[in-house]
Amino acid sequence: MLKRFIERVSKSKKPDASRNMFGLSPYKWKPVDPKEKGKRQVLYGLCRGCMQGDCATLVYLEDGIVVKTEGNAEAPPTYGSLCPRGKSELMGMYNPYRIKTPMARTNPEKGLDVDPMWKEVTWDEALDIVAERLRKVREKDPRGLVLCEGWGQRDTMLRLPFGQAFGTPNEIGSHGALCTVHYPSGLVHAGYPVAIVDLEYCQYHITLGRSLGPNFATAPGTRKFARAIERGMKLVVVDPRSSYEASKGEWVPIRPGSDLAFLLAMAHVMLFEIQEYDMWFLKNRTNAPYLIGPDGNYCRDQKTGKPLMWDLEENKAKPFDAQFEDIALNGTYLADGVECRTGFDVVREEFVKYTPEWAEEICTVPPETVRRIAKEFVEHARIGSTIEIDGFTFPFRPVSLNTERNVTNRRGGTYADLTGKIINMLVGNIEVPGGCLSCSYRGPIMGPTEDGTVRPAYEAVPKPFKFPPDHIGLEEFYPHQHTAPHIAIKSILDPEKYYLDYHIEAYISVGGNPIKMNAQPHTYVEGFKKIPFVVSIALHMDEPAILSDVLLPEHSALERFRVAAFYPQHQSIDDEVNGLKMIQLREPVTPIFNTKHVDEIFTELAERLGILCGEGGLYDHLNSNIDWVDKTDGLNMNGEYKLDINRKYTLEEIVERQIRGWPYSGGKGLKDLKEKGYIAHWKPRKEFYNYYYFPDDKTRHPFYFLGLKKVGDDLRANLIKHNISFPGVDDMDYVFDLYRPVPHWVETPEFRAPEGFDLWAINWKTPYYSSDPGNVAGNPWLAELYTKDPYEAVICLNPVTAKRKNLKDGDMVIVESQYGKMEGRVRVSELFHPDAVGVSGNYGLGTIQSNPLNRIGPNFNTLLSLDERTFDGVSGGQDTAPRVKLYKKEVPK
Amino acid sequence: MRYAMVIDLSRCVGCSTCTVACRAEHGTPAGVSYNKVKKYEVGRYPTAKMKFLPILCMHCQDPACLKVCPTGATYRREDGIVLIDHDKCIGCRACVVACPYESRQFLWDIRNYYPGHVPTPYEVLKQKDFERGTVVKCDFCLQRLEEGQLPACVVACPAQARYFGDLDDPESEVSRLVADYRGTPFREELGTQPSVYYVKG
Repeated sequence: MLKRFIERVSKSKKPDASRNMFGLSPYKWKPVDPKEKGKRQVLYGLCRGCMQGDCATLVYLEDGIVVKTEGNAEAPPTYGSLCPRGKSELMGMYNPYRIKTPMARTNPEKGLDVDPMWKEVTWDEALDIVAERLRKVREKDPRGLVLCEGWGQRDTMLRLPFGQAFGTPNEIGSHGALCTVHYPSGLVHAGYPVAIVDLEYCQYHITLGRSLGPNFATAPGTRKFARAIERGMKLVVVDPRSSYEASKGEWVPIRPGSDLAFLLAMAHVMLFEIQEYDMWFLKNRTNAPYLIGPDGNYCRDQKTGKPLMWDLEENKAKPFDAQFEDIALNGTYLADGVECRTGFDVVREEFVKYTPEWAEEICTVPPETVRRIAKEFVEHARIGSTIEIDGFTFPFRPVSLNTERNVTNRRGGTYADLTGKIINMLVGNIEVPGGCLSCSYRGPIMGPTEDGTVRPAYEAVPKPFKFPPDHIGLEEFYPHQHTAPHIAIKSILDPEKYYLDYHIEAYISVGGNPIKMNAQPHTYVEGFKKIPFVVSIALHMDEPAILSDVLLPEHSALERFRVAAFYPQHQSIDDEVNGLKMIQLREPVTPIFNTKHVDEIFTELAERLGILCGEGGLYDHLNSNIDWVDKTDGLNMNGEYKLDINRKYTLEEIVERQIRGWPYSGGKGLKDLKEKGYIAHWKPRKEFYNYYYFPDDKTRHPFYFLGLKKVGDDLRANLIKHNISFPGVDDMDYVFDLYRPVPHWVETPEFRAPEGFDLWAINWKTPYYSSDPGNVAGNPWLAELYTKDPYEAVICLNPVTAKRKNLKDGDMVIVESQYGKMEGRVRVSELFHPDAVGVSGNYGLGTIQSNPLNRIGPNFNTLLSLDERTFDGVSGGQDTAPRVKLYKKEVPK
Repeated sequence: MRYAMVIDLSRCVGCSTCTVACRAEHGTPAGVSYNKVKKYEVGRYPTAKMKFLPILCMHCQDPACLKVCPTGATYRREDGIVLIDHDKCIGCRACVVACPYESRQFLWDIRNYYPGHVPTPYEVLKQKDFERGTVVKCDFCLQRLEEGQLPACVVACPAQARYFGDLDDPESEVSRLVADYRGTPFREELGTQPSVYYVKG
């Protein structure tokens, strides 16, 4: 039907070349509605300038025009402060490059530089085309639909149940493949998405490959950071660049991509040189004393099947939950005739070779620095101390080491994160005041399995294996994956190679742009071109939009009605938000274009498809879904407030029920929420630290990662059973080397890059460019800042390296990895490790109909790899620091 | 009453929220900014650091700009705020040259935010406040002060690095900060007696 439609509207066999190309001529704004003249209005807002999405704002209007967004001084978590993106939000709304009305392509040829020859259509026409096409896909095989979500659209509650009602398993994220930071926190803390630092009490914080707030100027993070530094917290930043945060503490330069070596060495120093541990924690709250047999599994009590520990006083092995006189942390013992060692010894033995001298060869950090930092970390941990909060006595461990994406994202990255957990566990700082906390649901989530260890949660729960696989991102082969757009695009291009027995027939883009924001843009373009039907719920003419068949234009952030539950902070917490449960309101600005709310679009599509109501429909799934991150503390359809699945609802009606059913609303509704823009409930502070719910010896964190080994063993058995190799990797040992229960050194392929690739490209988020909700690169207010910032959108080089390569400030250079190349202007700077080539944000690429700002600047992601051999096999994470070569661009005279 | 600002350089993280907050408050045209954050580096690898210096109009007590203004458009209030009367400004730009802090900008043209496009509805509203051929600068958010609010840059700063108040009141926060931390103006030796002080830099 789409083909007939295209032919009909174009009225000829060839596309109509006389149509005015989108974005080419200046947009004529509609004049202000005379009724609005003289009016002044203030709305409650909720910023969506970055991934956080929880900064409370006030949106001021004059004459019906948004004139300013300001932080809401009365509201947590920002109490009036904001960031450059939040302050620039209105320029994202008044953006002439936005998609202003539904459009359908008339030119069958697709490409980033090919004019689709858009034809404007009505909403009914557009939705009819899309629904009709999706109906056919669903009839043939609902797996044929991919829904790709991303940070550009976080204001939807109906996307997930739409996909469920449709029957596709293929909801993928465009984000996250370069930020696979979730598995270890799900395994050790039962938390999600990451583990963060308690900035209220922490005295010594070591941070790697991440931001606490200032690096990309999140307002809540920056507030907490400033207070912690002012009260004297010592900050150690291990990073190839002297970042905003490193400049406020101690900078420890490190070769890019080598953090695993540093972490292994720091753990070595703690295990072999300092040897001061939180013995009580290790013996009573970890599986370090569990006895491990020669096969790497727990030695188990014959009667009960429970893992054994050794009692030094009674001189025998007993089930872990028996009464012990003195638990052995070390030693080799005979249990039921089998020689077993403690988990602690097994782990420790692996680390004997990871001396700081060994590590220096790899990461360039001087051995004395590793030793000093390890010593300071242990000293500041105040092992044995306690603190009373709300009458409850907690262990007090005011230190934390935290790692995120620039550490985890390469082969071995999961081991690096797990080694960080080991370092933390040696001083007993998990989920206690001052220490290392997961940033998700606060409550009794760290409860033990039958084996006595923390029940894994979130991404530490392996996805089940199935062959042939159903999931386009092959979660069957990467059971701990985060998101896998990079695997999905390869499966789309070559389904047979990836064992899929179906094809992708349709793709809906919902705020995700994997073409620009992942790797190898032109591979993604080929994948998109292969999909017969592509729809964008589109804000502006980005890469997925220009390759779409139909554009369904959506509201900008300011125009979207939204009520959201506040998640505990993503980077750090302190007393400003400790214990806070909150729901926040965004009152929408009247839309200026012919756009719809994303959830209106899903409602309309679902209704046309006949999957909105009834059993198994969208509303049915919405009723039974529980918030993934915040569980029962999120906004769910609870009890009497569940929807009648047989009638249609407006978004406000659904939200009203969510608010009333929220456990902390006290029965209030939307009208009450509109009074202050938020409803807050403060839980006792003691309930914020998850230690509270399973204190003392009531649960044990994994120190010896048997869970990882088990998943690897099961996956290996499944590959053998089906006589298949790991997709994209012939040698399965290469992958299973990453599933061992004790972290160990593994090389990334970049370490063995061919000669000539002598440097390492690195990337980071900035105050102007964190992720890309609302097209930050095209925002003219932000562009005024980033074009003047000396370190933004340039190729940063250490002076020694620049001299060696005969380069100076301003030279135009090509940066080339084994996978792609890009160009930019050199900035010589002492802030960078000599091996690093530093490129911030992700500028460039764009389309022939984009804001011209989207076409300029270095496109870092072009340098990254889609080769499975470069991934971390456990998380599926891609390598964010490829080896590169750098040379002057020859400019014709 | 002497209005003054104190900027805590140990807190400032160089995010430029202040710059955008100022733009958002006043709707300055493209390329015009009353607040700038200088970003630079000190030291050498492996101990180099980034440093940040937010600069705005210093509202000097003995302003160089005022001395050179031929029409009296630039004037200083009792409370220390230095303002420009745009009815009197003839755009000679002597003040732009005279100001040692580069705080003033001349409106050669009113440019639109989106090059090649017409003004957005926001700009249509805000551009009325600007006259081509005159000079503009920070006014310490006088309109906000009159409504009992602090300047936009002060409120917006996520690191809470900016303070504002009455330097004539020895108990005010700004007075205490200047006294306790030996706050000094930027390039104090130039002698214009700025009302913006920096601490912990």
